[in-house]
This record gives sequence, C-alpha cells and structure tokens, in this order.
Amino acid sequence: MKDHAVSSNRAIQQTLATYGGLLVAILALLGFFGVFAKNFLTATTLLTMANSIPDITVVAVGMTLVLIAGGIDLSVGSVLALSACCLGWLMVDLKLPLWLASLGAIALGACCGGLNGWISAAFRIPAFIVTLGMLEIARGSAYWITDSNTKYVGSSLGWFSDPIAPLGVSVSFLIATAVVLAGQWLLHQTVLGRTAVAIGTNAESVRMAGIRTTAPMVTLYAICGGLCGLAGMMQSSRLSTVDPNSGVGMELSAIAACVIGGTSLRGGQGSVVRTFFGVLVISILQTGLAQLGATDPIKRIVTGGVIILSVLLDSLRKQSAIR
Amino acid sequence: MFLSTFARSGSLFLSICIPLAIVGCQPNASNTSSPPASPDKPKIALVMKSLANEFFSTMAEGAKQHQSQNSQQYELVVNGIKDERDLARQAAIIDEMIAAKVQAIVVAPADSKALVPVLRRAKLAGLVVVNIDNKLDEEILNAESLSVPFVGPNNLLGAKSVGQHLANSLKPGDQVAVLEGIRTSFNATQRRLGFEQAMKDAGMQIVDSQSANWETNQANTIAASMLNAHPDLKAILAANDSMALGAMAAIKAANKTDAVQVVGFDNISAAQEAIRQGKMLATADQHGDQLAVYGIELALKLLQDPKSLPEDRETPVDLITAGSLPK
Repeated sequence: MKDHAVSSNRAIQQTLATYGGLLVAILALLGFFGVFAKNFLTATTLLTMANSIPDITVVAVGMTLVLIAGGIDLSVGSVLALSACCLGWLMVDLKLPLWLASLGAIALGACCGGLNGWISAAFRIPAFIVTLGMLEIARGSAYWITDSNTKYVGSSLGWFSDPIAPLGVSVSFLIATAVVLAGQWLLHQTVLGRTAVAIGTNAESVRMAGIRTTAPMVTLYAICGGLCGLAGMMQSSRLSTVDPNSGVGMELSAIAACVIGGTSLRGGQGSVVRTFFGVLVISILQTGLAQLGATDPIKRIVTGGVIILSVLLDSLRKQSAIR
Repeated sequence: MFLSTFARSGSLFLSICIPLAIVGCQPNASNTSSPPASPDKPKIALVMKSLANEFFSTMAEGAKQHQSQNSQQYELVVNGIKDERDLARQAAIIDEMIAAKVQAIVVAPADSKALVPVLRRAKLAGLVVVNIDNKLDEEILNAESLSVPFVGPNNLLGAKSVGQHLANSLKPGDQVAVLEGIRTSFNATQRRLGFEQAMKDAGMQIVDSQSANWETNQANTIAASMLNAHPDLKAILAANDSMALGAMAAIKAANKTDAVQVVGFDNISAAQEAIRQGKMLATADQHGDQLAVYGIELALKLLQDPKSLPEDRETPVDLITAGSLPK
C-alpha cells in the first residue's frame, strides 16, 4: 500500500520533470496573450487554434521519428504540397472517390519518404542532402501536375476539417491527436521505435551488433512522408483548395516544434508528446501575435526569440539535473 | 589512379548530363519558344517573377501565344525566378540576357528598387527596356537618371473599385479588416491604399490590417485571429485571391459565412469558382495574360522607331462579380 503510494508519487514527479517546463511555458503564453490580446482566452479562439494545427502536428510527429533516428527530413513541406496537389488531381480531374484519392495522396507521400530513407541509408549519403534534393523534386512535381495553378476542390473534403457540432474540434484534430499517441507508442513500445533510438544514439554499434539499419530507416522516412501526405489532405480540406505553393518553410516550423519539445538534432533523444507541446507553443504564439495585431517583423523576431529561449532553458534544466 | 579519376569525372559528367537531357525533353522548355531566326528579327527577353505563381504563368502563356502569332516579327525568350523574393537571381538573369545580346528586355521586377542598377546596365548596352506589372521606384530612377516606360495596371484604382463594390453591401460604421501583401512590394502598398480610400469614403471602420505575405495558409491563420479578436467584423479585404481563399476558409470554420464578406484581387480560377458559389463577393482582373503582350508591343514599337517617346501605358483593371462572370 505504502509502496504503491510512493511509486505513484514518483510517477507524478517524473511526469512533471518531463512535461512540467513545457506546460509552464504554454500556460505563461496563454496568460500573457489572455491579458494583452482581445478575446484571446475564449473557447472560440482555443478551438480555432486546435482546428488549425492538425497539419503541422502530424508533420512534426514524422519529423520527430526521423530526428530521433539521427536523420532529418527537409522535404516535408514540398512532399505535403505534392501530395495535396496529387489529391486534387485525383479528385477533380480523374473524379476518383475520396477514399481512393486520399489513399493515393498518402501513398505518394510515403513513397517520397521511403525513397529519402532508402537512398540515405543504403548508400550512406547524408539525409540532409538527399532530402534537400527531394525538396526540389517534390516542389517541382507539384507545380508540374497543377500547371502552377491553385485548384479549388470545393467542400467534398470539408467534413474532414469542419468542427464536429457538439465537440467543436474537427475530425482532423482527432486524427492528429491519435497520430501523436500512436507515435509515442511506436517510439516506446515497438521494436522499430527502440531501433530508431539505438540508431540515433550510435548507428555504428547497431550495425556491429548485426542489426540491419536500412529497413528501419526506410520505414521511418516512409512514415514521415505518409504523414506529410495526411497533412496535405488536412490542409486542403481546411482551405478547400490545393495549392502548389503550400508548405513552403514548413520543415523549419516542424524542426522548431521538435526542438522546443527537446528532441535532439544529433539523434537518440526525443518524445512525440513533447513535440506536440512544441507545436502548441508555436501556434499559440502565432495566433496570439496575430490577435494582438503585431506586424510581420515583430512576429518573426518574437517567434525566433522564443525558439532559442525555450531550447536554452531546456538545456540549463538538463545541466542542473546532472549536477 | 588514372582510371579512378576518369570514373570520378565520368560520374560527374553523367550527373550533369542526365538532368540536362531531361530538361531538353520537356515539351515546353521555356527558354526558346521559336525556331532559329533570321538575323534581322529582334530578340525580346521577357523576365518574370516566379513562374510558379498562377498570375505570372498566365502572363508568360499570353506572351508565348502572341509570339507564335507574330513569329515573323520577333523572337521571345521567357525566364522566371524560383522564389518571388529571389532578387539576386532576377538581376543575374538580366545580366545573362544582356550577354546573350537580346535587343529588348520586358521585365516584371521582383523589387521596385533593387532591379534599377542592372536595368541601367542594360540601357547602357543599348537595349530597349520596358517595365511591366510592378512599377520601378521613381526616385531611384531619377537618381540614376534613367527613364523606363511602365506598362501596367493602376492597382490603387483597381482595389478602390473592389472596395467600393463591397461598400455597397455594407452600412457606414461597419467594421472591416485588411489582409495585405508583402509590405515591401509596390503593388501591395497600392492595393492597401485603394482599399483604405474606398472604406474611408464610405465611412467604414478598418479595425485591423495585417500582412499575410500573399499566402493562403498564413492568411487563414491571421483571418481566424481577426475574427476572434473582432466578433463584429463584417468584411475582409484581401490584397490577392490566394489570401482571400484563406480568409474564406477561416470564415467558414468560424461559422460566419453569412455574416462576413470577402473580396480579393487577381481573378484566379479558384476565386471565380468561389464568386459563382456566392462565398466571395468580388475580385479584380488586371488581365495578366495581356500584360506582357502590351509590354512586348511597346518594346517592338521602340525598336522600330528608336526616336519615339517612350510613354507609360495604363492597362485596364476590371471589377469581377457574380454578375460579370460567365455562368
């Protein structure tokens, strides 16, 4: 009985140690904008935010998995745009049913990701370079299949991101939440997840131990690509359009979310749930600053400052924990 | 040693050749759109902003069509940059065109100031230079003592007419918000001023005005915040259609489709669709497909008669509403 109480106490302490800093940061931001921005701390604003983050959330989950395995995927924004354009093409031009078109778009994303993983793992080429190439290829293909035009897909996709009446959040948001939980489970409870951490910590010793690294890397990158496809679908449904220019610079927002959440760019360390908190920090900042009516330069300066500050605080916290 | 060097340079050679071959195969590789010409046919270079933008790709198409109908008169080289903000690349393209000995350059400058020096080099090299779409900065042109004719729409008046149309369906005192383009661009400023004048004249209250950098997704986030911060908002004026699409989505998500109206600018196909469905009130068409053609015509005129005075030419901007669109 006593033992049980002690262990549950320890669990709470551990949870606080893992998520406490981020939760404080989120509450502080909410408080700040609540005071200074008009109508910020209202259910409508919070629900608006919830319904606008599913795309960046699932991309950031994919990015976390890749970063933990010591890789990086710079092509996420372009792959998102390519998948979205492919979705529009399949739905509007080929008149395929929605489920088939969505499947096609997600599969295309997964293929791009898988190709990234295979080339970088099998030929030992830095993922930075391979995915930089994919960034260009996918963006170019997106322009190609749309003729550089924004396409209106109409409301057939709308249900996907329209708020569900009693809940106020959208199907997309629920899916994104499920993706976060599934990502955390994959990372901690599956062989693939543990292998990813091992590869990210020391790829050479994993190979020495006789474990093949190519297959898991291909799988991780394919998951990341597939999630970009899903994000493309979420974004197109929210905006009722497919836009070959969408997702420009998204790789940086996704990496920022991961880094704020404490994922190491050197691999081996990170958490999907914490990445989700990172996404929240960024989206609260974005919405709050817009609601304050801040100018573009101020928005950029503040966002950059918050990214550096949060990583700085995290590293100070870790150092003091070691002492 | 020798073999490995050969292998290395060989693979480098291949990696350069393969993409080149792919580019060569592309059906409409945009660099040369006409067969080799007789030497007396002038060569005109059209230097655009991003060809990934629907507005500029339409413009380039219009120019190519004009050239194929007048292939006896001139040759055309079309070039664009990858990113609208890649000024350095656009300047480099103009230098390359001077080196390629074209007779005239028709340019849609990505920046109204930074492109002036390189265009001065073109003038000094004896080329005819015509400015389309985004007007070069007067002060800098004067400082460099350069005169470049401008062919393009009056964005201020265009935006004003869109704003006036919107005002007709609002009451004086109503709250409205503006989504601006990239603030450093001349067009963005002109459209903002046009919107502001129309709203001021009709007695509306502009409660918020932010830049969404011409982008749909950014506009979506910002418009959603505007709707939350100003619950009584009656209309959003977007400086281009891409941002109007983002605003429409935000309005729909907030369940305010009947309460908040949207207007845009550019008349892209997705906006036409939205206007037909009644989700958007109006946009403006500055006839992008004809814009480059007007510029080319002026360049041809100046080439034929170098002594004629280069004059600015204002191109039409039309208000587009559900009534003016073909069903």
